[in-house]
Amino acid sequence: MATAELSVKLQAGSGSRVKDFLNANMINILAAFLFLLLAFFLLYPIVAVLIKSLRGPSGFTLEYYRAFFSKNYYYQSLYNTLLLGAVNTVICLVVGFCLAYMTTRGPWLLRKPLKIISLIPLIAPPYLFALSLIILFGRNGLITRALGLQWELYGFIGVVISQTLAFIPLAFMMIESTLMSLNPNLEESAYDMGASEATILRTITIPLLAPGLLKAALLIFVMTIAEFGNAAILGGRTPFLAPDTYTMITGESDFNMGSVLSVVLIAPCIVIFIVHNYLLEGKKFTTIGGKPVASEPRKITPLIKVPFTIITTVAAGAILICFAVVLAASFYKILGVTDRFVFSNYLDFTSNQAIYNSIRVSLVAAVIGATVGVLLAYVIVRGKFFGRSFIEMVSLSGFALPGTVLGIGYLLAFSAPPLKLTGGIMILALNCVFRFLAVGVEAGISKLHQIHIEIEEASADLGASFLTTFRRIVLPIMFPAFIAGFIYTFMTAIVSLSAVVFLVSPGFQLAAVKIFDAAVYGEIGIASATTIKLVLIVMICMMILNYITKKTKIGSSLEKKGVA
Amino acid sequence: MSANEKPMLILRDIHKFYGTNEVLKGVSLEVKRGELVTFVGPSGCGKTTLLRLIGGFTEISSGEIILDGQRINDLPPNLRDTRICFQNYALFPHMTVAENVGYGLKINKWPKDRIKVRVAELLEMVELEAFGDRMIDNLSGGQQQRVAFARALSLEPKVLLLDEPLSNLDANLRLVMREEIRKLQERLHITTVFVTHDQFEAMAISDRLVVMRDGLIEQVGSPIEIYEKPANEFIASFVGYVNFMDGRVESIDGKTRNAVVATEYGDIDIRLEQDNVRNGDEVLMVVRPESVSLSLDSGVERPNVIRGILKSYMYAGSIAKCTVVIGDKKMIIDQYNPRDAQQFLRAARVEIEIPRSVHLLKKRN
Repeated sequence: MATAELSVKLQAGSGSRVKDFLNANMINILAAFLFLLLAFFLLYPIVAVLIKSLRGPSGFTLEYYRAFFSKNYYYQSLYNTLLLGAVNTVICLVVGFCLAYMTTRGPWLLRKPLKIISLIPLIAPPYLFALSLIILFGRNGLITRALGLQWELYGFIGVVISQTLAFIPLAFMMIESTLMSLNPNLEESAYDMGASEATILRTITIPLLAPGLLKAALLIFVMTIAEFGNAAILGGRTPFLAPDTYTMITGESDFNMGSVLSVVLIAPCIVIFIVHNYLLEGKKFTTIGGKPVASEPRKITPLIKVPFTIITTVAAGAILICFAVVLAASFYKILGVTDRFVFSNYLDFTSNQAIYNSIRVSLVAAVIGATVGVLLAYVIVRGKFFGRSFIEMVSLSGFALPGTVLGIGYLLAFSAPPLKLTGGIMILALNCVFRFLAVGVEAGISKLHQIHIEIEEASADLGASFLTTFRRIVLPIMFPAFIAGFIYTFMTAIVSLSAVVFLVSPGFQLAAVKIFDAAVYGEIGIASATTIKLVLIVMICMMILNYITKKTKIGSSLEKKGVA
Repeated sequence: MSANEKPMLILRDIHKFYGTNEVLKGVSLEVKRGELVTFVGPSGCGKTTLLRLIGGFTEISSGEIILDGQRINDLPPNLRDTRICFQNYALFPHMTVAENVGYGLKINKWPKDRIKVRVAELLEMVELEAFGDRMIDNLSGGQQQRVAFARALSLEPKVLLLDEPLSNLDANLRLVMREEIRKLQERLHITTVFVTHDQFEAMAISDRLVVMRDGLIEQVGSPIEIYEKPANEFIASFVGYVNFMDGRVESIDGKTRNAVVATEYGDIDIRLEQDNVRNGDEVLMVVRPESVSLSLDSGVERPNVIRGILKSYMYAGSIAKCTVVIGDKKMIIDQYNPRDAQQFLRAARVEIEIPRSVHLLKKRN
C-alpha cells in the first residue's frame, strides 16, 4: 500500500478523483476480483459436492452418509484406501530415503545417474506404471506367460507397486531437499566423536530429518489416496474410494453417493492439511549459517550399504524397466501376444485427436493458470488487506485436494444454466487451472520475495501510477515465474486424469482419458503409444523449463548485483 | 629421545587430488606435544583440506599421517584420537547443551554417572555450568562456541582441530574467545591445530604458524619469525603491509655482520641477522610501515635517511598513516603516538630513516 499512497500524494494535484481512487485501491480491486475467481471456481464446486452429499429429493438428509457407513462394501473401500495410503507412504519414504541418502552421501559417480532415474517418473503420467505392470505381469503379461504363472496382478498388490513407483520422485525430492539442507558437519561431528555410520543415522540424521520426513509422509499419503488412475486400472475387484466415485457417477449416475464418497476422501486430506500447516509450523531445526556444502562420500558400512544398494537398485531398475516396456509395447498391437512390429499405434486417429485436444486444453489452462498465479502471488505478497492469508491458503490448497472432488464439483456446479460449461474445452481448462494453481502462485511468491518493495516504491516515487509500475516494473521481474507457472500447469494438466475423467464428453476426448480407456479395454498398443507421445511432450516442456531456469538464474544474479 | 619430545603429529609428503585437481602438493610437518600450530593462508590454499585430512573426513591421495607414533592414514574419524570443532560449531540442535557435550562419552559407552560428572566438569571449564539444560537455539554465538569446544575436549583427544572457530563471532567477542581458547589450550597442554584466514588472529594465538599457498607450505615459524623474517614476498605481504625496496648487497663484514645495501636513494647500513645473502646479491628490503621513523626535513645528511615529499598525512589519534613519495615510488609509513601532527600536516618535505634491522629477501632470477 505504500506504493499506492505515495502515488496518491504525487498525483493529488493532477488526476481526477476517480482516477486517484482507482490508483490507490488497485491492489484491493485486483484482490477482490481474484478472490471471486477462487470462490467461484475452487470453493463453490467443493461446496456443491458437500451440499449434494447432504441433500436428497426432500431436502437436508444424512441418509447417504448412513448408507455409506452401513454398507460393508464402502467400509472395505475406505479401509483399502487408507491401507493403500499407509503402505504406499511407508514404502515411498523408505525408498525415497535410500535414494536421497545415496545421492547426497554416496559415491560421487552414482549420485547424478541415481538422481536422474529417481526423477524420471515425473515426465510420465502416473498410470504409466499400471500400464507397464499389465504388460509384464497381467494375465497375458510377458513374465506371466514366460514363467507360466497363475498370479493375480489386479488388486491391492498391483496398485501398491504402481503407486509406489509413481510417487518415488515426490518422496525423493522432498527427502533429498531436507537431506541437502542438513549441515554435513553435524554428521561429521558425530562421526568424529566416535559414532559409527548406523549410530549417526539413528541419533543424528533421522531425528533431525523427522519434521521433513513427516511432511513428506503426509503429502504422499494425501496424494496416494486421491490418485485415481492406478487404482482404477489395476484395482480389479478390490474397491478403492477414488475409482468407486467414478463408477458411482459414470456407471450408476448416483451423484449423491458419489459426493459422499468424495467428501469421505476429502476428510483425511483436511486433517492432514491442518497438521501440516499448524502443528508442524516452526518445527524445524535451525543451525548456524555457513554455506550448504555437498557431503563428501564416506566409507559406508556394509550394514547400511548392502540394504541401501539393494533398495535403490531395485527401485531404479523397476523405473527404467517400466519405461522400456511401455516404449516396446507401443510398437506392437499387444506386446507378447502379437509379435508383428507395427507403427500403427502412433497413427491411431482417436489417439492423435485426443492428444491434440489435450494440448489445446493444457495450453488454455497454462495461459490462464500462469496469469492468475502471478497476479495471486502479487496480491498475496504485496497486499495489506484482511484475509490475505486465507487467499493464500485457498490458492495453495488445490493440489492437495482429491481430483475426483473437483471433477464431481465441476460437474455439479457448471452443468446447468446460467453457467453451463460442460462439454466444452473451457470446463476442462478451468478445472486444471484451479487444481494446479499452487505451483504458479508459489513460483511467483518466491520471485517476489527476492525483490525489494523499494523498487516499486522508487517507480511510484518517480510519478508512475500503479498500473504503470505494475506493467513496467513488476511484470518484467515476474516473467520467469509466469513462464514457470505456464510450463508447469501445462505439464501437469496434460497428464492429469482424476478430475477430467468426469468432465470429458464423448465428442471431446483427452489423451489421459484415452490411455485409461485403452488400458482398461486391453488396447495395450494404443495405450502405450499415447503414453509415449505424452512423455515426449512433457520431456520437451521439461527441457524448455530447464533452459529458462538456467537463463533466469543468470538474470537473477544480475539482479542481485545491479538492481536489488 | 624421550616420549615427551616425540612429535604428537607428523605429516609426511601429503598429496590430495580432487579428480585431476591437486589441492595439496606434498605437505610435511611435525607438531610438537602441547603446541598450538596455525594453518594460515588465503582461501583455496588447502588449509581446511589439510585439517579435514588429519581429522579423517577426507582421504589422502598419498603420504602419511602419524599420530603419536601410530600411522592413522586408513582410520575413519570415529577411530582417530582427534576431535574437530567446525566453523559453524555443528552442535546437535535436537539435544540440550549437556547432551551435546556428553554425546561422545555416551557413544563411547561411559557409565551414566561418570558422564554426568565429566559433563559438569567440562561445562564448568567453559563457564556454562548453568546452561546444561538449555537447547542450542537458546544460546548466543559465543556460548555455542564454548559448547562446541567443551564437546571436542570431552574425550581428551590427542590433537584438537579447530576450523576457523572464531569467524562466526563479532569482532569484540572474537578477541575475547581467542584469548580464552589460548589460555585453556595452554592450561590443558593440548596439542592443537588451528585454521584461519586471519593472519593477525593466527599471529596472536599460535606457537607456530604454517603459512600455506596453492597447496604448499611456504614457511613454518613462530609469529615473530614469520613477521620479521618472512621467507618471500608473498609471506611478507600476507602478514601485514610492507614496503619493498630494491637493492644490491655491496659489502658484508664477516665479524660484525654489518652490511651495506646500495639502493637508488643511496647506501643503507644494516645489521645482517640472516645468513642466506652474499655479497653482490640482488635483494628486496622488507620495510614495515611502523619500523620507519618519519621526521621533518632537517637538511642534515645522515646515514640511512632518505628525503621525500609527504603526499598525505592521515591523523587518527594513536596513529598517523602517512604516504611519502620518493622519486617515482611511494612508501607507506605508520607513525605511532604522533606528537607533532600539526607540523606534519603543514609539511611538504620530510625525511625517513630506514632501520638497521631491516630484513632482506633474495631476488630470484
